[in-house]
Amino acid sequence: MAANNYFGFTHGGTQYGAAAAAAAGAAAYQATPAAGYAAVGHTPAAAATYAAQRATTAYEAAAAYQPAAATSYAATASSAPTYDYSYTRAQTYDNAAKTAAFYPQPTSTSFSAAADPAFQAKSSTTYTAGYQNAAARPAGQASKTYNYPAAGAAQSYTYPNQAAAAATANKNYSGYDAALYNAATLYVQQQAHTAPKGAGTWKASRPGVGATIGQKPKLKQPPKPQQLHYCDVCKISCAGPQTYREHLEGQKHKKKESAQKQTAGTTPNAPRGGNSLRCELCDVTCTGSDAYAAHIRGAKHQKVVKLHTKLGKPIPSTEPVVVPGKSTTTTAKTGAATTTAVTKTTEVTKVVATPKINFVGGTKLTTTTPTATAAAAGTAVKEEPKEAAAAAAPAAAAAAAPAVARDDTVAVAAAALGEKEVEPVGQEYIEEIKNEEGKVVSFNCKLCECRFNDPNAKEMHMKGRRHRLQYKKKVNPELIVEVKPSLRQRKLQEEKLRRQQMREEMWRRREESAMDDEERIYWEERRRYEEEMEYFEWCRRGAGRGMPPFGPMGPMGPRFGPIPPMLRRPDSADDRHVMAKHSEIYPKDEELNAIQKIVSNSEKALKMVSDDIAEADAPKKDDGTASESKDEDGKELPRTLKGVMRVGVLAKGLLLQGDADVQLVVLCAEKPTRTLLERVANLMPKHLATVTPDEKYALKLSVEQASLIITNQTEPQINVTVTLTSPLMRDGAADEPTASKDPPDVLDKQKCLEALAALRHAKWFQARASGVQSCVIVIRIMRELCQRVPTWTPLNTWALELLVERVVASAGFPLAPGDALRRVLEAIASGLLLPGTPGLIDPCEKEPVDTLSGLTAQEREDITASAQHALRLMAFRQVHKILGMDALPPPKFNRGKFNRKRRRDNSCSGENGDSEGGDGKKDKKEDESEAAKADAK
Amino acid sequence: MMRGGVRGRGGPRMGRGGYKMKTFVPRLPFDIYLCEPAFQRAKPAPDETPLQQALLKRNTDLSPSPTEQTAVLNLVTKIATVLDTLIVTPGSFDACQIEEHRQVGSYKKGTMRTNHNVADVVVILKTLPTREAVEALGNQVTEELRQQEPADVLVMAMLPNDRGFEISNSEATVRVLVTTVHQNLRKLDPELHLDQKILQSHLAAIRHSRWFEENAHHSSIKVLIRLLRDLKNRFEGFEPLSPWMLDLLAHYAVMNNPSRQAMSVHQAYRRCLQLLAAGLFLPGSAGIADPCEGGNIRVHTAMTLEQQDQVCLTAQTLLRALSHGGYKQVIGLEGNASIATDMTVWEGIVVSPLEKAYEKPPERKEGEPGDELADDDDMDMADN
Repeated sequence: MAANNYFGFTHGGTQYGAAAAAAAGAAAYQATPAAGYAAVGHTPAAAATYAAQRATTAYEAAAAYQPAAATSYAATASSAPTYDYSYTRAQTYDNAAKTAAFYPQPTSTSFSAAADPAFQAKSSTTYTAGYQNAAARPAGQASKTYNYPAAGAAQSYTYPNQAAAAATANKNYSGYDAALYNAATLYVQQQAHTAPKGAGTWKASRPGVGATIGQKPKLKQPPKPQQLHYCDVCKISCAGPQTYREHLEGQKHKKKESAQKQTAGTTPNAPRGGNSLRCELCDVTCTGSDAYAAHIRGAKHQKVVKLHTKLGKPIPSTEPVVVPGKSTTTTAKTGAATTTAVTKTTEVTKVVATPKINFVGGTKLTTTTPTATAAAAGTAVKEEPKEAAAAAAPAAAAAAAPAVARDDTVAVAAAALGEKEVEPVGQEYIEEIKNEEGKVVSFNCKLCECRFNDPNAKEMHMKGRRHRLQYKKKVNPELIVEVKPSLRQRKLQEEKLRRQQMREEMWRRREESAMDDEERIYWEERRRYEEEMEYFEWCRRGAGRGMPPFGPMGPMGPRFGPIPPMLRRPDSADDRHVMAKHSEIYPKDEELNAIQKIVSNSEKALKMVSDDIAEADAPKKDDGTASESKDEDGKELPRTLKGVMRVGVLAKGLLLQGDADVQLVVLCAEKPTRTLLERVANLMPKHLATVTPDEKYALKLSVEQASLIITNQTEPQINVTVTLTSPLMRDGAADEPTASKDPPDVLDKQKCLEALAALRHAKWFQARASGVQSCVIVIRIMRELCQRVPTWTPLNTWALELLVERVVASAGFPLAPGDALRRVLEAIASGLLLPGTPGLIDPCEKEPVDTLSGLTAQEREDITASAQHALRLMAFRQVHKILGMDALPPPKFNRGKFNRKRRRDNSCSGENGDSEGGDGKKDKKEDESEAAKADAK
Repeated sequence: MMRGGVRGRGGPRMGRGGYKMKTFVPRLPFDIYLCEPAFQRAKPAPDETPLQQALLKRNTDLSPSPTEQTAVLNLVTKIATVLDTLIVTPGSFDACQIEEHRQVGSYKKGTMRTNHNVADVVVILKTLPTREAVEALGNQVTEELRQQEPADVLVMAMLPNDRGFEISNSEATVRVLVTTVHQNLRKLDPELHLDQKILQSHLAAIRHSRWFEENAHHSSIKVLIRLLRDLKNRFEGFEPLSPWMLDLLAHYAVMNNPSRQAMSVHQAYRRCLQLLAAGLFLPGSAGIADPCEGGNIRVHTAMTLEQQDQVCLTAQTLLRALSHGGYKQVIGLEGNASIATDMTVWEGIVVSPLEKAYEKPPERKEGEPGDELADDDDMDMADN
């Protein structure tokens, strides 16, 4: 891998050229290294611990180093090729990381610093060899030759390793350093403990390059603090060899070691998604800038810094290393950009300096760049921001001022991540919790339901993602919180995508197959059509006459299936109750038969009476009017008794159980007289006897009722009232003068008129009411109600019929029995009977007559009140209370269609309960199992 | 019992119980004005002038005076200005963001009654309505009002149930009802935010006033609404009727006839009582579908069954009293609310109050174990 990178270098040359052009050449070079070194000032302590021969302060040292680098870069013509080379190389690193506008001056400087001696001493080939060598070496070996003075260069090396080779940075670059400079550190010694072989390697490599550097004495100097036992993997020091060994054998260490080895092949500690910031020093990956800042501030980090300072190990700057996410291109860019920057990068957009190397132990620097003055360095540092400004970046500025750097860490880190600096939100939702003395001891975030004690934590919390999400969720949905899909979400997303693809695929296939079908149908049709056409053609030719051409009736022709059966509205509870009540009040068969029998017998008898009277009248002419008896033909004669008709409940089919009174009306040609009535009464018994010899009927004459009452002797006692009337009675009422001609014994006019009205009502009923769905049922129910409830009794049958018919018919559509009953109650409840309403016009009268006029105001009021209560009872599922019955149990639901039909058939006379007896057992089982199924659903 | 309550909401299921796979076809109750042809006048129409004049007189009594109107208008305008300013330049005020504000309710509809100088304004927040935000908004508005006119004595109070806040001066009150934009409704957390039901009702109030503007601008309707509100205030039995139900009922009574011409107030007034008495707002009735809600919601289902019974019962008694000549008492020119609950005599006719028909489910359970079973099944259906 290293070889690859290396190769890349030469390629990178061109790129560099471009970049250089943009960046104003050497000036920029100078500027950037300055920035890079400025960071050294950060850790003066570290520098101080180091060799005294270096500049008094690390800063100075850095400064001194810088100019050296700068001069060697820009000024020395002799080293120019070398320089170029190294520079290119740095460039290539960038290249490998796919950074576009990376400006790795720091890298190059450090390189030049590092490489200069190398070049001077040897040739580039040597260098290459060493490099390759180091890279090829196993990590353990490489790390033996750890060289901190070369940290700058090392760092620059690190970059490719991290980004491209992705090996553990420290070891590799240290290996590289070792190869280049052969600098020895305490680390070497430590390594020697564990792997003595490595020491040899180091030595072997040392003469290669290191000799030329001539820094051996300095290398020897550091071993003083070698007494310290430092574990590089865990970044800790141990008090003594014993503890150190124990540590090395410890679980924690091994775990870390193996983890490190595992990650060696991949990006170190690559976060699951998005970017994260890495503290090189502690090898800690932080998920966000805030977390990173917290880490930098944290005790652990400080401890490590201290330790490293003490050990004189290179301390990477606090600026974070961005660990790019796995996939995103943007992260790759920024990430790469930042990582490559060894000391300081000036990116066009937001680039940051990342691993600035603090040349803590830069012993060789002093030797290599003795010419440099601190002042020059100082100016260089000062100038840096301005010059870098060509490439801009406030982040760079922040990095340039190391004093501020700490505070700016967040900003820098944020910039490194490409994060926007967020405004803290939702301050008002953070409560301060005070102790007794009123001192703020902790904070409570109401949005996130969390507590913290530290004001810093509060600040961070308000900027934090979780808090922002909560704020977005709970307060301001428009707050922008960057999306960070979790692993699960991403998986879901992928899954969704995959499914969508599959679905599309499926549709496509289906479409294709549908196309196939269509094709097939089309061709089928076509074939038929052609066949038919051929046939017609043939017919036409054969028969010589054209058949009417008609279009091809393909198999797709419209087909009229059986019209789907009208969807029956399922029975409501009201319907069931009404129907149950109805079947209860409906007369039994024997009653009906009895009535039927007596009525038909009466009718037959009356017919015979009529015949008798007609016969008697025709020859004798003693009874009829002269004009009428003139006719010869007895059949043609207008009979005195013109006909008998059923009226009232009988005609309307409104008979209820227990109804024993039925009415017949005999229409007479003239105004009926008492004489006529008596005559009929006299003739009836004889004829009744002839009609039914075995039945005994009692006959009662009621002159005041203008009627004849026939009563049977058997059990369901039935009275048939036969009323005599004549249309003339009504006409007579119309023109008074003729009334005087009335026979003296004419029957009661009012009764006769009533009989006539009854006749009209019967006709009206048959014409109108019987055609309205549910109307007859409701009238029966209401009749029963009127009979049962005294309040309703004043409402006479005719008014009731009329009312119900009007109300039900006015609904405009067929009503179920329950609904029809409710509507009637609604109508009365809405005050139809009350004063001030239009009333109920009688359709069977010439004059507008209010059918309801017979009701007194109090009766109307009472009926209305009763209906109002009944209506509410009905609305609240207590219809049985109105009907005077027990509530029905609910029907067994889930009956199969057929099951239900069968039941309906055999229970037409009474669908409640009883009829279920026979097949109950089996049904119950079925119902139960079905119910269970339904429940399971 | 919870079950009963749930069923109460589901109104349609009531009274139609029975088969599991039933389809409920709601039906309008009998309404004589819709089937006039079937009921030709058998006797001359009675003279209704006294009723008409009584109604108009009552309306005049109920209407707010010009001073009252001005007072309310002034306060509303001021608050609207402040809210507008907050929308355009929120400045330092960041507790919430206002999407828009609208006037709703009786003030907007022109159906205000005298001595009830309360105007409603709905404020739609872009942000989620936390109690803190509402309170902050209230304080902010009051603060700015005070700055504008330091002389005014303003009182800011939070409304019960966290509906919003109200700002009142000596003459008028403006209730600022708070809600949020639709898309936020899903994100509400009952612990933190205002009740979702209330927020929705405020949004509905906006729709209502919009609908009203478009459909119910006829002055007969407005007069009738005022009269009905008065009726509701006087008779306890009408308490469950919400203003929106009254609006719709008035509109229905005035406009819903075959000719689609507005009916006169006295006819419509009587018709309202007739409709209620005929069970327009009872279970099993089609009632009035809410024009501002999708899915054919019947407005009266917002009442419990007991309330529906109560409303119907009161209307039935009042209708009889009205029919027997007790219009002055019904309208409120004379007498008191006892006519709805006590036996009264009108021109020799005894009008007796009615009993409740609704029975609480537990009682019914004893009487009708079977029905209860059916209900359970129904409930299962509803739950699944």
